[in-house]
Amino acid sequence: MKPIDPPQFPFRMLKWFCPDNLYESIEGDLLEKFDEDVELVGLSKAKRNLFWNSINFFRPGIILRNTFTLHLINTIMIGNYIKVASRNILKRKMYSFINAFGLSVGIAFCVLIFLFIEDEKSFDQFHANKNLIYRLEEKSYDSWQHLNPKDPYLRSAYLMKPLMQAVKDELPEVTYATRYNSGGYAAVKYGDKIFSEKNITFVDADFFKMFSFRMIAGNPDKIFKSKLEAAITPAIAQKYFGEESPLGKTLHIDLEGEKDFIVTAIVEAPPANSSLNFDILLPQENTAYYQNHLNQWGNFNTPTFVQLVPGANLVTFKSNLDKLLQKHMGDKLEKWRKEAVTPVPADVKLLELEFSQLPEWHLKKEIGWDKVSDPQYSMILGGIALLILIIASINYVSLALTTSASRKTEVGIRKVAGAQKKQLVWQFTIESVVLALLSMCIGIGLVFMFLNPFNEFTGKSISISFANVAPMLLVSFVLTVFIGLLAGSYPALFLSGFNPSSVLKGTFTSKVNAGFTKPLVVVQFALSAFLIMSSLIMYRQMKFVTTKDLGYNQAQILVVPAQAGFGPESNTLVERFRNRLQQEPSVMSVAGTGISFAQGYSRYGYKINGEQKAAYVYPVDAYYLTTLEARLEQGRNFDARIAADSNAIIVNEALVRDMKWKEPLNEYLNYNEDSVGRGAKVIGVVKDYHFLSLEKNIEPMFLSMNKNLGYLTTMLVKVTPGDIPTKVEKLRGVWKELQPDKPFEYSFLDEDVARQYMVYQRWMNIMQLSTGFAILISCLGLFGLSGINALNRTKEMGIRKVMGANVHTIFILLNRPFVWLALIAFVVAAPISWFVMNRWLKDFQYKITIGWELFAASMLIGALVALLTVSYHAFKTAWLNPAETLKNE
Amino acid sequence: MNKEYLGEFEELVLTMVGILQEEAYGNALVNEIDKRVGRKVNLSAVHVTLYRLEDKGYVKSYMGGATNARGGRRKRIFQVTNAGLAMLRARKEQQLQLWKLIPQLKIVGA
Repeated sequence: MKPIDPPQFPFRMLKWFCPDNLYESIEGDLLEKFDEDVELVGLSKAKRNLFWNSINFFRPGIILRNTFTLHLINTIMIGNYIKVASRNILKRKMYSFINAFGLSVGIAFCVLIFLFIEDEKSFDQFHANKNLIYRLEEKSYDSWQHLNPKDPYLRSAYLMKPLMQAVKDELPEVTYATRYNSGGYAAVKYGDKIFSEKNITFVDADFFKMFSFRMIAGNPDKIFKSKLEAAITPAIAQKYFGEESPLGKTLHIDLEGEKDFIVTAIVEAPPANSSLNFDILLPQENTAYYQNHLNQWGNFNTPTFVQLVPGANLVTFKSNLDKLLQKHMGDKLEKWRKEAVTPVPADVKLLELEFSQLPEWHLKKEIGWDKVSDPQYSMILGGIALLILIIASINYVSLALTTSASRKTEVGIRKVAGAQKKQLVWQFTIESVVLALLSMCIGIGLVFMFLNPFNEFTGKSISISFANVAPMLLVSFVLTVFIGLLAGSYPALFLSGFNPSSVLKGTFTSKVNAGFTKPLVVVQFALSAFLIMSSLIMYRQMKFVTTKDLGYNQAQILVVPAQAGFGPESNTLVERFRNRLQQEPSVMSVAGTGISFAQGYSRYGYKINGEQKAAYVYPVDAYYLTTLEARLEQGRNFDARIAADSNAIIVNEALVRDMKWKEPLNEYLNYNEDSVGRGAKVIGVVKDYHFLSLEKNIEPMFLSMNKNLGYLTTMLVKVTPGDIPTKVEKLRGVWKELQPDKPFEYSFLDEDVARQYMVYQRWMNIMQLSTGFAILISCLGLFGLSGINALNRTKEMGIRKVMGANVHTIFILLNRPFVWLALIAFVVAAPISWFVMNRWLKDFQYKITIGWELFAASMLIGALVALLTVSYHAFKTAWLNPAETLKNE
Repeated sequence: MNKEYLGEFEELVLTMVGILQEEAYGNALVNEIDKRVGRKVNLSAVHVTLYRLEDKGYVKSYMGGATNARGGRRKRIFQVTNAGLAMLRARKEQQLQLWKLIPQLKIVGA
């Protein structure tokens, strides 16, 4: 009978795990069994049997025989490999250091970004009910501005005050519900301790049942029965009560008049990766105008969270929410639809409620929220990390290859002494892994070193704790071994392939084929060039925004919150301060304003002759413009002695343009849409100044002393130049005199203004850091490549020298290709960075122009760095005595 | 592991190696066990047991000559060593003695 060919796969598998000495007989038996089976049970069953029979050999009795013998050889040699590896590392300290350092920078960067991404992902994950808790969100049709024609909706988490009770009472899916207003700001007093607290959060009683913030003391079932209760974090307890037990004590909190709150619970402070934040928790009833808002379905000011019953149907929940809105707001929505500035299409819902699950909040960037972040950042950073890692490992390979020449004699001797190719591959791989592990240690050290700056750059507070140190170590270890193996394998195969006889005879010439690193070096350099140019442009722009003349003088102005609540008392207080400070020679002037710079704005919309207009409004006093040294173009400043001025306004030039006034001083602005009067008289026109950040154009704005527009809650105190600290102390003294029971706080106007650009500043910092990394790493790559080049051309250069070429020519000859590479990289990178940076600059209405000189400068920097890097090898080769290189010929 | 110890399956395989003599190799043993005691055993189990017996020194092996059958692969032929033979004999003695100690059988046999 003609034998039927059996399938090959089982044998290949068997060969992989079966010891060689046993393999032949086992294979024979299997074949024999297969032939028998074919006759007995048919081909297909025979094949199945063969497969299972082979699989059956995968058992300890066979495999252990295998590894046992293999282990024996390896354990003997591994000691030697490690010894040789450490000798080699020590012999070439400089090279080893550069190589290890490049890799450790890559590893460190990756680990940091791993931590960053982990932190992003860990947000709000610690709540036991995280999958049942939803935040309600409004989605309303934007009939006014049409910001985005594709998606003409506004989304926000701020909802109506009465909604919480309505959903809780009317919807069967909702078990718990709470409202949440954070960032409350008030002076808090206990005994003689007065501080101003900026992190007061107003919630409902259900808050404690829904979220897993551990209650250290107090009863979650009985809390917030009264509206004058407070829950505080341990830090606050320590701050006010020290060692005393805070429970049952009374805190005086100034919310539109001082009230006494009884501390009934201590709640663990939220961790850094929490979207919810508080130092002090107070019942919702204490929010401003609570009673008014409670019946207002038209005011959107309160985020609302609900906890649904397990397994609730989200589709019916959504439709129930729609019904609920119809029930409570049907009339209102109809009215809004009629009054809309532009007609609302009939099929569009004016207002809808959507919701998102607690773990989604942090990365849902379309909904404004504390600490919300764009998932793109994680992706961009992850991409950068991966790129840096790939580049670092390729550099590692090319650097390893440069040393191969000096190892060839060793390889030859080892081969003559009987080393097999496999063993040599192992040796070089292990060497590479050892060096990689060394880099890992440096890398982890770098992580610890750079964690704080990294946290500052990214605005996070990642700490290395027991919980994340294990995955971090695991990740870096796996990464390291992987890179070590990957990077070691090419040099290992290359070196082990030498022919011993020709190596030892000395006639061996081999060119290290590292052509594949060339495009990579271009890529690396292009990346660095891109980063250099981008950071330069960012730096220039930041410098521009921080030094630009804003139209007023922001120097030596202290911003002091009046701390007298939102009411006429503030205005009186500002007046008293001004009178008192007039005696101080160091204080030049004191002005009051409703809103200081970079602390928000208030915008007024009004219709004039049927046309919708809007202007920014600043409640000020007569000293405002003089304190800021803003210039009046026409008319006069407010005068406290003229009573009519309290109803007059000063407008900016943008408003004049907007209204198309020829003679602004004869005009009135009817911003109240007063049907009887003509509105407010314009008494002056101030030259345009940047009351908003430079991201925005100067838009119509007016100043008014009218108390209906707001009270003077903030003082601007202009002091004389020099010795600011003593002047601040003087102010503190005066404050103590006039307002002993309120905290004295201040900031500097110029710093406030600069803080508006913090996000950009942070990204610039990240860019600069990445630029540093990228330059470093691409230099390493270039260093490696130039090393290989110099190595390959050593003999050529020797011959050239013998023929009479001088060091100078050889130097140029060796460096030329790399300068070319750097230039190509720049040509590639320049348009990309031009494009990206133009998009970045779009955020600013006021910006620098990107000129050629920026590109030229960065090109020069890059070319210089490249030249410096490659010169080491070029010098070395150029200075080499030709006799050294040629004596073997 | 106690060298004197011999498992039931080990004993079976060892006996079969003794029976088959020059033809004692993996696949033949599987067939022989099936034929003599009607037990379906797995090829890999037989192989593993043979190697274990070899470790214990009860069998030794050598590679047979190549033939046209089984794709030209050689057979690994196993032979019972003196130690193996002694072991088998000792087991037989042991079993016989134990056998005699069972009372009912003694009466029936007498």
